[in-house]
Amino acid sequence: MSFLENPILRRELFSRLRSPKTFMAIVSVAVLSSLLVLLRWPTDATVDLVSQGALQVFRPVAFALAVALMMLIPAFPATALVSERRRGTLALMLNSPTTPWQIYIGKFSGNVVLAFVILSVSLPALAACYAMGGISMVDHLGPLMLVLLGMAIQYTAVGLWVSSIVNTSDAGLRWTYAAVLALAVLSIGPTIFVGKLSGVNSLLAHWATAVSPISALQSITGSQAQASEIGISTAWPDFLGASLVITIVLSVITVMRLDPRRLERARPAGKVIGRTKPTNRYAGWLRRVSYLVDPQRAKSNIPWWLNPVMVKEFRTRKFGRLHWLIRLISVSGVFSLLLTVVAATGTVSWGVERIAPTMVLLQVALLLLLGPCLGANLIASEVESGGWELLRASPISPLRIMIGKLMSTVWTLLLMLLATLPGYIVMGYIQPAMSGQVGNVVISLVIAVFMVTTMSACISAFCRTTAVATATSYAVLLTLFAGTLLIWVARGKPFGPLFVERALLLNPAAAALAEMKTPGFEPYRLTPDGWYLGIEISIFCLIALTLRIWQMTRPK
Amino acid sequence: MSEHVVETRGLSKSYGDFKALDDLSIYVDRGQILGFIGPNGAGKTTTIKILVGLSRPTSGSAFISGVNCSENASKIKRLVGYMPDRFGSYDNMRVHEYLDFFGAIFGINRRERRKRIADVMELTETTYMQDKFVESLSHGMQQRVGIARTLLHDPEVLILDEPANGLDPKARIDMRQLLLRLAAEGKTLIVTSHILPELARICDTVAIVSGGKTRAFGPLDEVMRSLCPLRSYEVQLVVPEQMGQAETILRKILRESEPLTVSTAERVLRFPTVRSEDELAKVLQGLVAGNILISQFREVASDLEDAFLSISAPGLSKA
Repeated sequence: MSFLENPILRRELFSRLRSPKTFMAIVSVAVLSSLLVLLRWPTDATVDLVSQGALQVFRPVAFALAVALMMLIPAFPATALVSERRRGTLALMLNSPTTPWQIYIGKFSGNVVLAFVILSVSLPALAACYAMGGISMVDHLGPLMLVLLGMAIQYTAVGLWVSSIVNTSDAGLRWTYAAVLALAVLSIGPTIFVGKLSGVNSLLAHWATAVSPISALQSITGSQAQASEIGISTAWPDFLGASLVITIVLSVITVMRLDPRRLERARPAGKVIGRTKPTNRYAGWLRRVSYLVDPQRAKSNIPWWLNPVMVKEFRTRKFGRLHWLIRLISVSGVFSLLLTVVAATGTVSWGVERIAPTMVLLQVALLLLLGPCLGANLIASEVESGGWELLRASPISPLRIMIGKLMSTVWTLLLMLLATLPGYIVMGYIQPAMSGQVGNVVISLVIAVFMVTTMSACISAFCRTTAVATATSYAVLLTLFAGTLLIWVARGKPFGPLFVERALLLNPAAAALAEMKTPGFEPYRLTPDGWYLGIEISIFCLIALTLRIWQMTRPK
Repeated sequence: MSEHVVETRGLSKSYGDFKALDDLSIYVDRGQILGFIGPNGAGKTTTIKILVGLSRPTSGSAFISGVNCSENASKIKRLVGYMPDRFGSYDNMRVHEYLDFFGAIFGINRRERRKRIADVMELTETTYMQDKFVESLSHGMQQRVGIARTLLHDPEVLILDEPANGLDPKARIDMRQLLLRLAAEGKTLIVTSHILPELARICDTVAIVSGGKTRAFGPLDEVMRSLCPLRSYEVQLVVPEQMGQAETILRKILRESEPLTVSTAERVLRFPTVRSEDELAKVLQGLVAGNILISQFREVASDLEDAFLSISAPGLSKA
């Protein structure tokens, strides 16, 4: 069977290309890249001998394409295997003469070809940069396309690997985006936070950094100075090498998982303790210490003062269970304290001014990672599982359903933010003048929690499947939070200060950064107007959600 | 005010030009089991949704214990236990927690809920699975938990959509016994099923719907008699060589409206008839007079499936 005759590849490719979602993705990339070129196109008539003008057009286009790929490419492979397994079609394919490698290659190459199609619509924008002069095929366009291709194959392999492990489509999306975020952003953490390393540590940090496309893109777009300022200096061939290694390793692991015997999973035994006397006192004690709250203990009945829908939401989420929440909060708390200690002890040459924005950004990243998937699960998954019909047939009011669902997300996100408060308190202790600013940052972040929750819940109520709701929530919230920061990056040219300020008003994270006097955010006054806007957006989404839930619960 | 526990009067429901229900009138009395039968798209689920307050009729009305289903949906939800054809599973939730959640949303207080959960689990024989995760249960187990869930708030009426669907024979027998036990306890049940012989064993009344209209409604025996007036008889011979002779004799006695079917392999001759017992005795006498050695001369009981097929697909009738 030749490569092009692979039935999986043909099916994947045709079904994807026929999908309206793919069409939307292609159109979005075409519009985004063209718009960026138009906005950044130089207006002065002088000859640009050092090609700075061309680079200023090329740079945002390159980064925007990378971000677009990062957002669009993982979505398809993240659900590719898990959805087939849940439908039972994976077992059918594995029972046919098609080998696991053919299935994998079909799915993998289908997604990479799709990435090519998406990238091809950006060629006119890149050609315009080339036409300006100063941008060469060998130094800029060729390496950029190779890096984007490296990203496509790396994220496809990651998505398929995650999809072979998880049990639901939305878990596939959630974990794939988390893995992509870790590979693209967190991998550069060791180099940035620990500073100059030597010996084996330096080599490890270098290769960890090479996994991320950020440094490669910096070197291609001529921003090496900014990259070396934060300590990262890997070249694009390193990124390609690292991508290839990750792709090969994950591909082998995924294909090994496509063994019908390994797909067989025993049903959980459903063991609980507490109904009978423990056989081993020490084992029970050890488990309690390691989990703080024993996950196997029989749960008590829902008390009257708690919203049953909220309790149900917590219990049905793996990470909503108390022992997981405690772990999450502990990690957040320890991490924020660590960052503050780093600032206080001067391990790196950063002061509180630098650590505070980093903390804000990390908190927002965590918020954006958890918030959309929690919110997007609220209504769509209930409809998908058939639970909504049961809720409709019960006497519980639509308002109580909505409050229970929203509070389950709000509490989780607020607890996570609360865990980082010690870090801010220590910061206030180091620099007492910052106490007021810290208060404003906390208000901004609380507003961000409400925005993320209400927006993703609202999206969830209008989507039929959890996977679509999750992907849409991520897209909308990333556009709002990261998109406005991209406008800020392009401040001065082409966006004027007023436009940038208005765009940043939509982003509570920007308000928090401005409060912390983060370099580049000093000129903008985003509070309290940004807060009011955030509250207004949340109220609007809340009204839309209320109406939708009322419509969904009333007799038809 | 209605005297029946469940009653629909001239129930109609349209979606645009499509008429899902057309003047449906049925009733069920306390402690009875109504078998609600019809081909796919007949209007069964639409009727059920109106009865449980999830849908409004375009015209007509439905009552449960005298309460109008479309005007007082919140009261209806407490009177009815509804089990849809989809289980409604939640991830990471144990059976006990699952039942606790549904008990809580029905407003049952904590102490009472604890007792009710224990009672319904005992009744449905699900106590042993209380710590298992609901998504890991087999289909049969999930159906049992589904019935336990519908019983939590002690409803007067149980409406079960395809409760025997996908169950193995043992689980089907268990389910049948459970439904009969519930009826004996005074619950009124409306059960839809495609496994008609199963339904025939438990139903007091049947309603057959097709194209949104009631095609037959009443006690099971009456419906069977009205839909299957022809009795089917079969004659089994001892000697296969006498098949031709027996066929000739029977063709002389039977009328054109009584078509004879011959199965040589089985040594059986079959014919439908409306003859009385005396007339049938004469048929047997004719065969004996012809020296035909007969091992069996018997009536083949027609079942609910025949009745259903005579309405939904007349050409496919087994008789």
